[in-house]
Amino acid sequence: MIRIDCPWCGMRDEAEFTYRGDATVTRPGANAPEEAFHDFVYARKNPRGWHVEWWYHSSGCRQYLKVVRHTMTHEVRTVARATETPEVPSE
Amino acid sequence: MSVSEPPTSAPHAAVAALLKPGAHGATGGQPVRLAVRDVDIVQLLARKGRAEDAAAAIKAAYGFDLPSPGRSAGGDALAALWIQPDGWFLIAPRGTEGALARAVKAAVGDAGSVVDQTHGRSVITLSGARATWVLAKECRVDLHPAAFGPGRVASTQIAHLACTIHQRDAGPTYDLIVFTTFAKSFMESLTHAAEETGYVVS
Ligand SMILES: [Zn+2]
Repeated sequence: MIRIDCPWCGMRDEAEFTYRGDATVTRPGANAPEEAFHDFVYARKNPRGWHVEWWYHSSGCRQYLKVVRHTMTHEVRTVARATETPEVPSE
Repeated sequence: MSVSEPPTSAPHAAVAALLKPGAHGATGGQPVRLAVRDVDIVQLLARKGRAEDAAAAIKAAYGFDLPSPGRSAGGDALAALWIQPDGWFLIAPRGTEGALARAVKAAVGDAGSVVDQTHGRSVITLSGARATWVLAKECRVDLHPAAFGPGRVASTQIAHLACTIHQRDAGPTYDLIVFTTFAKSFMESLTHAAEETGYVVS
């Protein structure tokens, strides 16, 4: 079970949140080629280690959060607001 | 304008009817109390960059500051509950249909958007010395006095349903705000949890 320290609500249980995917991908420009949009929508890395993810606090404050989580240990290192850029540990 | 007020309906009567007056569940201990509060509920969302204007307008109209995250303000005549960044519930005893929403909108003007949630939400009150013990079985929020208490608010899940918890006093008394359409399912879970201490409906 993961616990996420929401910047608005405090420490909460994973069950209150909805996982919303990779927070490192950015939308291509409007005139980018089709392949760029294909990659934006479908192509994902599957890292073993630290990952920045969107978690939506759907049963709490209804805010999108950026969570730095280790995909193997499930350790949550940082929980940031959507507009912030959290630091990602190197190891 | 000569349009008369629409008749005052009873949006929470069906939820209140789920509770049968009397004592239920275990006997001989310290039963909790369950009730449905007949209230008006208005959602206020400050428009982008206008949170300070909305707060000033509410302060001028009602005399208190809108609460910070996880808190409530005001009193039984009108309480404000923080529900999300720049978003609050305003709760008052049930009055004329739509009157609270119109008054809040008149107060905040274009600094905020106001939605009447009176029919959409219901408020179930759980109180008594063992209320925290019963509620702790139902939710994952830390309700210990060191972490929670009078004037604290938390939106969470209870029985898989969205629920906003507001602790009103140290009794303790908790208001549990849920969607009216899910209130029957919610009440089944809550009364089941309360059978262990027993519960009284007056
Ligand atoms: Zn939150």
